Amino acid sequence: MRVFEKYHPIVLFSYFAVIIFMTMFFMHPVYLAITLIGAMSLNLVLNGRDFFKSLKMYIPVFLLIMIINPLISHNGEMVLFYMNDNRITLEAILYGLAMATMLVSVMLWCSCYNSVMTSDKFLYLFSRVSPVFSLVLSITMRLIPRFTYQLKLIGQSQKTIGMDYTIGSLWHRIRCIMQILSILITWALENAIETADSMKARGYGLQKRTTFSLFVFEKRDGILLAVIFLLFVISGIGSLLGSTTFYFYPALTGISSTLKHLFFYSVYAMLIVIPVGIELVEGLKWRYLKSTM
Amino acid sequence: MAIFEINDVSFQYPNDEQLVLQNIQLYVEQGEFIVLVGQSGCGKSTLLRQLKRELAPHGQRNGSIKYNGIPLEELDPKIATSDIGFVLQNPENQVVTDKVWHELSFGLESLGMDTPTIRRRVAEMASFFGMHTWFRQKTVELSGGQKQKLNLASIMVMQPKVLLLDEPTSQLDPIAAMEFIATLHRLNEELGITIILIEHRLEEVLPVADRVIVMEQGQIIYDGSPRLALASLPQNHTMIQALPTAMRVFHAFNQTGEAPLTIKEGQKWLAAQHIEKVKLIEEPLGTNRPILMEAKNISFRYERDSEDILRSFQLQVYEGEILTILGGNGTGKSTALKVLAGLEKPYRGDVHIKGKKLQKYSNAELYRNVIAVLPQDPRTLFVEKKVKDELSKMVHGKKEVDVQLKELIALLEIGHLLERHPYDLSGGEQQKVALAKVLLLEPQLLLLDEPTKGIDAFAKQSLANLLKSLQRKGLTVVIVTHDIEFSAMYSERCALFFDGNIVSCDNPRAFYSGNRFYTTAAHRMSRHVLDQAITCEDVVASCREM
Repeated sequence: MRVFEKYHPIVLFSYFAVIIFMTMFFMHPVYLAITLIGAMSLNLVLNGRDFFKSLKMYIPVFLLIMIINPLISHNGEMVLFYMNDNRITLEAILYGLAMATMLVSVMLWCSCYNSVMTSDKFLYLFSRVSPVFSLVLSITMRLIPRFTYQLKLIGQSQKTIGMDYTIGSLWHRIRCIMQILSILITWALENAIETADSMKARGYGLQKRTTFSLFVFEKRDGILLAVIFLLFVISGIGSLLGSTTFYFYPALTGISSTLKHLFFYSVYAMLIVIPVGIELVEGLKWRYLKSTM
Repeated sequence: MAIFEINDVSFQYPNDEQLVLQNIQLYVEQGEFIVLVGQSGCGKSTLLRQLKRELAPHGQRNGSIKYNGIPLEELDPKIATSDIGFVLQNPENQVVTDKVWHELSFGLESLGMDTPTIRRRVAEMASFFGMHTWFRQKTVELSGGQKQKLNLASIMVMQPKVLLLDEPTSQLDPIAAMEFIATLHRLNEELGITIILIEHRLEEVLPVADRVIVMEQGQIIYDGSPRLALASLPQNHTMIQALPTAMRVFHAFNQTGEAPLTIKEGQKWLAAQHIEKVKLIEEPLGTNRPILMEAKNISFRYERDSEDILRSFQLQVYEGEILTILGGNGTGKSTALKVLAGLEKPYRGDVHIKGKKLQKYSNAELYRNVIAVLPQDPRTLFVEKKVKDELSKMVHGKKEVDVQLKELIALLEIGHLLERHPYDLSGGEQQKVALAKVLLLEPQLLLLDEPTKGIDAFAKQSLANLLKSLQRKGLTVVIVTHDIEFSAMYSERCALFFDGNIVSCDNPRAFYSGNRFYTTAAHRMSRHVLDQAITCEDVVASCREM
């Protein structure tokens, strides 16, 4: 399975950007419920059993935020009881619940983002912004493991000539480490000359670079991007028309269930369910393919 | 028309009176495979770099170089970049980016090509070189041979007409080097790409070359067919040591004319000679000497969950011997050396030195007067700006060692290098300086990791002589190498390292004449007429005409 992550990085990035943005700003109980369920189910699809392990972290966070709000906020009309002469109100408890849902949902979406947007996809997006910066990043990623390995070799060589940084006085150790670093720097600069030659030999700096990547923007990426954009715009309009308006203080607003609002709720739900939907459809397709083979 | 016309080219580095190149006259035809040879410092790299405008060193150049009839200076920069490809010596340093596919596309990105073109070219090249299985891999995970192949491929995507290569195989193990040469041969045969290659490992290269150019002190002293190269070289010229075995034997028999190049031709030629065999004197195996170092049932791995690299590894090192440990690349023989030197700790088994466990020695005891290690990369030892300081640092504060230092400098013949920066020396010279540095600790046992890697035939010979004279002074030497010829010529015992252990160990004659494939070129060439000859000298000695 895992088809959703095969979509073009631009599609994936825009999807998560849109979803996380809306989750943060739509503090309406229905919207919050939809986004929480959506985030949990996508996590379950992407991470499988690891999702249940990660609950150990999310549940305490959820409870903590839920409890803290009524303890510090005493607004609201419906007083449930008094604690140390402070009012504990229903509104504050519900607001805490909403806050907790919102924060945990954002965390869950971010965890999905992490497992879908691997570093090379992120780098690719960056290279769209600045080709030089992405090349620098790529070179850095190449050099870090190389330097680490060379550092170990230098350390071993120096050990055999009496410059062991793991033993002796603090002064001796500092001297050894300085020496090892100095050797590494000379070595790196010397090698950089040859790397520069290799870049020059392949026309570096000749003209404006183009950026090549293995990612292809297919038709399905275009369609999905358009759908995401459309649903986002409709949800935005819905928000302007008041479908996401909900007041906790001083008293709770009622949840409206007019046809207009039901429409906007379902648009939001459609947007949230996209990745899980794609995975499910693909799963069914495979089952069908296998059974007809 | 010649693809390169080099007319009367001389070259001089700034602030240097000597001419590095003197009146070079050279025509290169389209589709030729040319091998450029010469001792280090003869100007061959300088000449090669003159042909690649972007890499030409700063200095004063006279004469003209024309590419396809156009002076090199007037060539369109795009054509100059893509038509003339250059591969350098060190596979590591040439890889610029972190992913294989990114490296392949680097040149095309610089040339400003669009994505579909790059995609196609990259796909084409990856398929041609059989790189599709590691196409998406990170470049750090590749072996040296794969890296050099990647470097070649990332030049080839720009569709060059000429390939210039500066010792591309010197850092590779023999098998990877052979594969690399075979790839070059294929590029030349199948695509007609002109190749100019600097090499010092000639055994595999000369048979596929159309032309060989020998350089000495900035001048071309021979330019022609590889088979006739011997005639133009003076007797006992240092270059002769670098030639393929068949040619060297041919030369030792004082033959003239077309020399055999390959093992197959050598066999045929040898069979046609009327020779009388002389029995070679058997050298006794020196096992009655006391044991200096012993490895007992050592098992080692780097990570808890990784595979064992050493599996019940056993080894005895006798006092005063030269022992070579042979094995393929990546088998773990360098790791074995590190364990013997106490640089890595085994999870099972012990190393004993003079009957005492290695862990019982303190570091100061162990690395002063007992063990010295010459690392694969001598540069990991260099700290100072001058060779002189590099050496005196090791003995600071002691007057009596001055004599010893002078003796050592004389022995290693590094007197003329003392004022120079260690990084400016050639590979062979760097190694000597590093060796001097560790020898100042007066060890009894010297461990060397791939000492013949990247040094030319002449430097190899002088290293061998040096090790022999150190041995006479009582030093025990253990060498880890994949250089079969070196091991056959200079060691007293050879051990084959395979699958984490030593699988056979014997004196070189028994060791190499017992192997059929993993043996010296001289033995492969002479096996059908002589049973025990393993070096060129053996072949000559055992069939002197009576």
